[in-house]
Amino acid sequence: MNTLNPTEGFETSIASVGDAPVKVDVRNLNFFYGGSPALKSVSIPFVKNQVTALIGPSGCGKSTLLRTLNRMYALYPGQKAEGEIILDGENILASKDLARLRARVGMVFQKPTPFPMSVYDNVAFGVRLYETLSKADMDVRVQDALTRAALWNEVKDNLKGPGLGLSGGQQQRLCVARGVAVRPEVLLLDEPTSALDPISSAKLEETVTQLKADHTIVIVTHNLGQAARVSDYTGFMYLGELVEFGPTNQVFTRPATRRTSDYITGRFG
Amino acid sequence: MTDAALSSAAGSRRASPRGAAVAKVFEGLCFAAATALLAALGGLIVSLVIGGWPALKQFGFGFLTSAEWNPVTDVYGAAGPVVGTLVTSTLALVIALPIAGGVAFFLTELCPAPLRRPIGTAVELLAGIPSIVYGMWGLFVFAPLFSKYVQLPLMMAATPGSLLEKLTVGIPNGSGILSASIILAIMILPFMAATLRELLLTVPPGVRESAYGLGATTAEVVTSVTLPYVRTGAIGAVMLGLGRALGETMAVTFIIGNSHGFPKSMFDSGSTIASTIANEFTEATSPVHASALIALGLVLFVITFAVLGLARLLLRTPGARL
Repeated sequence: MNTLNPTEGFETSIASVGDAPVKVDVRNLNFFYGGSPALKSVSIPFVKNQVTALIGPSGCGKSTLLRTLNRMYALYPGQKAEGEIILDGENILASKDLARLRARVGMVFQKPTPFPMSVYDNVAFGVRLYETLSKADMDVRVQDALTRAALWNEVKDNLKGPGLGLSGGQQQRLCVARGVAVRPEVLLLDEPTSALDPISSAKLEETVTQLKADHTIVIVTHNLGQAARVSDYTGFMYLGELVEFGPTNQVFTRPATRRTSDYITGRFG
Repeated sequence: MTDAALSSAAGSRRASPRGAAVAKVFEGLCFAAATALLAALGGLIVSLVIGGWPALKQFGFGFLTSAEWNPVTDVYGAAGPVVGTLVTSTLALVIALPIAGGVAFFLTELCPAPLRRPIGTAVELLAGIPSIVYGMWGLFVFAPLFSKYVQLPLMMAATPGSLLEKLTVGIPNGSGILSASIILAIMILPFMAATLRELLLTVPPGVRESAYGLGATTAEVVTSVTLPYVRTGAIGAVMLGLGRALGETMAVTFIIGNSHGFPKSMFDSGSTIASTIANEFTEATSPVHASALIALGLVLFVITFAVLGLARLLLRTPGARL
């Protein structure tokens, strides 16, 4: 118990979410890059319309876990997942229509990735894939998405300008707007503020808090303060295992395991 | 000596006089190399103009517009070879580009991992085959098959007076404008495919994943995101392929049929600038004939230069269509 030696396995504490509705339920998930395991029997519930933060030192598997939720890993041969990920009662690991799945489970990446097209077209891109909207309806949708991403006021006069012409912080919020515009049920954020300055980060955090009214959000972050500020639940991962999971205030103020406590007090990681 | 210079330079805080001298020599050599290149280009243009001047002076603008190329009467008009060059190169590009794009997209987006390396290597091998081999293969293997399975059936099927008849008129011996274009296409295909593939690999994984992450299919990702992302580079690759097709000599000489007139159909024999020069240089006994061939070289130079210039122009406005 309470050992720091990883080879002896570690004490874990997975809290129940009680009666809260679970949008995505990960059950006994194992993940492999080629032959080497990256996730070991991870089970974690993501509660509907709540923000769940995944924290842990680099290489602990939190981004890997995130990339299983929309099966992004399937783009790369040699990566495979075993177990179950239940989205609204359906195991997405058995899902065949990946494009449809990814339209339901949106993702924003660590670095801003605007497409080489105008600001407007960037936001409209995903919408056009699945919906045929009139020009007026599309205008409304684009404005709504940009407003939700706290970017509308900065770009409303330059919607035809290239997305790549925006500043880094604006580009990242553009990517959030692009993700939100298709109205995904789940939104995955992979260290969305790691490339941003403090002001842009603060704006993005505000955005995340507002977005949970309509989306179930999973955010991977190295910034513990950010996890504490934006999330309702927190999962702490280490060496491919989920060490602790519970309501954020509990994980941060009364961590149940020694390892979590060491990590959030800055003793390692 | 360099070691000594380095250690003495490292020993003192300020750059030693000797190090400075080495730097001067280095700068001078680099400058000389660059200047030599410019001088070579200038010399080439000057000698082409001087060599071609007698013919250009004698025939004037008619050198470009007349299709009469007759060494017997010493009358030379370059319209036939010029049109042959432009037509075969353009057709080759039209044939090769979609296939090259398909190969590149397949290799970067769809290909199962075990096949990726063999196909990639095959593409590079194809690019390395000397052009004379393509020419021989074109004449001895491709032409008879092309004649039997493409030319003859098409000519049989053409009703008199129809457009098809106009396009297919000619001697069904397998050589001609279209055959040359197809051989050229095969030659520039691997080069363009390899370049396009390299370009597609430069698209940041995050951008591709973002597009997939919005629920796009592979076709949508390629056409809407990765292709526009590499647009400028792709234009450059196409233009380089076109440049290669314009100047290709041996393979075309083998298969184009080598007649000087204006090509009248896809199956008619014709000539390109490069094939005409290659065929006739040893036989150019009259001064005007030799001069006309050099003037042809100048025309080819100008066409290639124009293609490169056009590529530059297209590359200079990257944000225009964003």
